[in-house]
Amino acid sequence: MTVSPPATTSAPAAGHPVLTTEGLVHVYPGGTRAVDGVDLTITTGERVAIVGQNGSGKTTLVRHFNGLLRPTEGRVLVDGADAAGQRVAHLATTVGLAFQDPDRQIFAGKVRSEVAFGPRNIGLRGAALEAAITRALAATGLEGEADTNPYDLGYSRRKLLALASILAMGTPVVILDEPTTGQDARGVARVQRIVADLAAAGRTVIAISHDMRFVAEGFERVVVMRDGRIVLDGSPAEAFAEAAWPTLASTFLEPPLAARIGARLGVGSTPTDESLLAALGGTLAAPADTDT
Amino acid sequence: MLQLSGVSYRYAGYSNEVLHDIDLRLDDGEIVGLIGPNEAGKSTLCLVASGLAPASIGGSLRGSLTLDGVPATGLATHELAERVVVGFQNPNTQRSGIAATVFEEIALGPMNLGLPVDETVERTREAVARLRLGELIRRDPQRLSGGQAQLVGIASLLAMQPRHVILDEPTAQLDPAGTRLVGEALRSLAGSGTSLLIAEHKTDLLDGLCSRILAIDSGRIVLDGPTATVFDDPRLAALGVEPPARARLVRAFRDRAIEVSVVEDALAGAAS
Amino acid sequence: MILVSVFTRAGTHVLFTIGPFDATTEGVDFAGQTLVRLFAISTSIGLFGLTTEPRSFVLDLERRGLSPRFAFVALATLEAVPAMVERASIIGSAQRARGLDTEGSLRARLRGVLPLVGPVILSSLTEVEERSLALEVRAFGRPGHRHLLWRLPDSTAQLIVRTGLFLALIAAIAGRITGTFPRLP
Repeated sequence: MTVSPPATTSAPAAGHPVLTTEGLVHVYPGGTRAVDGVDLTITTGERVAIVGQNGSGKTTLVRHFNGLLRPTEGRVLVDGADAAGQRVAHLATTVGLAFQDPDRQIFAGKVRSEVAFGPRNIGLRGAALEAAITRALAATGLEGEADTNPYDLGYSRRKLLALASILAMGTPVVILDEPTTGQDARGVARVQRIVADLAAAGRTVIAISHDMRFVAEGFERVVVMRDGRIVLDGSPAEAFAEAAWPTLASTFLEPPLAARIGARLGVGSTPTDESLLAALGGTLAAPADTDT
Repeated sequence: MLQLSGVSYRYAGYSNEVLHDIDLRLDDGEIVGLIGPNEAGKSTLCLVASGLAPASIGGSLRGSLTLDGVPATGLATHELAERVVVGFQNPNTQRSGIAATVFEEIALGPMNLGLPVDETVERTREAVARLRLGELIRRDPQRLSGGQAQLVGIASLLAMQPRHVILDEPTAQLDPAGTRLVGEALRSLAGSGTSLLIAEHKTDLLDGLCSRILAIDSGRIVLDGPTATVFDDPRLAALGVEPPARARLVRAFRDRAIEVSVVEDALAGAAS
Repeated sequence: MILVSVFTRAGTHVLFTIGPFDATTEGVDFAGQTLVRLFAISTSIGLFGLTTEPRSFVLDLERRGLSPRFAFVALATLEAVPAMVERASIIGSAQRARGLDTEGSLRARLRGVLPLVGPVILSSLTEVEERSLALEVRAFGRPGHRHLLWRLPDSTAQLIVRTGLFLALIAAIAGRITGTFPRLP
């Protein structure tokens, strides 16, 4: 059975559910109940951040979206169809998942070949393949390293390479597992730009992250998990508002400093620097560009 | 005290030096932060400050490293290990691979130092307590999450109770709770006289922890001073370093003529 | 092979004949002895493997004087395979997430060998340097013996059995050398 190439990267009508879980439970062989009843619907074009302490079930949850893990109870729908009958290789045409450790996937001798692997597997060829690779390399700042051996790049750039290899697949849904760990300020800015560009192209972005500032600034929806369940689900303003702090504390999270200052000054929920500054008055200059 | 004087270093087999004329001084009980863009030489500096470069990996060092008055050049790697430890961010490489339980893993360091059994057990228990690993002591080190493995790695180093601890991105895999835990453990360690050098991207962590910050770029120290001074320096952005939230907001307020004093108390309260 | 020796040992007491081959009592005797020896060797190795915990064995050797470095190599070797299996499993997941087909045609699965095996080898090799540095930091290279945390439980009964077996071994060797070992009629 051949895997057909994905449709163009522009997604179907926004607002249409692209990922759904119904009563999802996942119990690992040892008995750990990593996901304990999750009902979640993500619509096309949403930028969703999933946060929570280590062990709250974030990674287990997202691995159901491309079929790497199968539900113990409940079901998972990908683009309306039950994921149960579909192979991982097939779900990979819809959902791209970038793993945290790039060294657990790099095998090619050249950056270009590494990036080509994913799109090639899902059926891209010829001009479309070349275009996908070029775009992905440009987005991750690796266009000058196409012929470099991946292990001649530092760890943080290898992480960007792993990200590029998923971007090139052109999947409507992109899931990023801790994309900013190990990145310096420029690297983080690059990841932020990638998320924004994906959303602008109508693609759905899901990110697992410990970086509350990255979450507050780049995502429109924050899903907070604890002990395998969702305990909070709303916009950054809602998730980091003072009323939500006890819930955040229960999963050992803290809102960004801007939110804490805004609450202390009584100017409402200000999860980002910009919203705090706007609430306090003063003209806003364009943010400084940290690009080289 | 750990001191690097006029140190330049070149890796074996490479023609160019990656560190140029570094001066660094760590006093007992001091916590110094090391910041800089990726590939600026933070990791190399950590290796050199521990003496492992060149003692273990070769290469050529100009200048000198002195540990508590003793030049490092004469010391064998196990003699270095008695004085200074260095930890790296990849928990997979920090693991010995031969311990059956987390307790054994942490105990390996003191055991290797030839300590009597009681002393080994005592030091291991202390390290376990410092990093709140009590629930994990019977677990298989191979079967831990990235964050748990990173905490075990740090505990394994602390159990050796060296005078100097160098850590390269010790919180890379940790969630905010884990990061805070490590910060507290390191603060208490410094309180008992250990000197610490911590390379990190999380400037918020360094802000609350370090008395001094060094910034490195292209192998050179470009900033060296008290924490508040360095983090308020406008050159940080150009360096590719994100200042801590506190410094960032204060500067943004000043730039936009928002009355800083009004919020300073809020900052002090909120940042605690 | 052992059966063949029934026919090929030079002997004078012929038991039966198959074609040009004579089965002699000497042949049977030899075959019997070889069988018993092979049995003794393989059973003792098997028993050793089944009753000895490899880690305890290595650590006890170290207690009796084996260099800690050898002990480390032995233990690391024991753990190497499970660690690699764990690594391979993560790699498999990552590659499948990139569309690698592990359930399709044989050709498709053969094409998957490099992306599955490559990272296992590459990441293991690139980690070697940092691994050995981490070991040096924890003083694995320190000469001299160390005080091990582990203590192998040893009861009087075990000691008696061990001594008894050792004496029996001495007696057997002595008997063989002096020719007084009991023989079958």
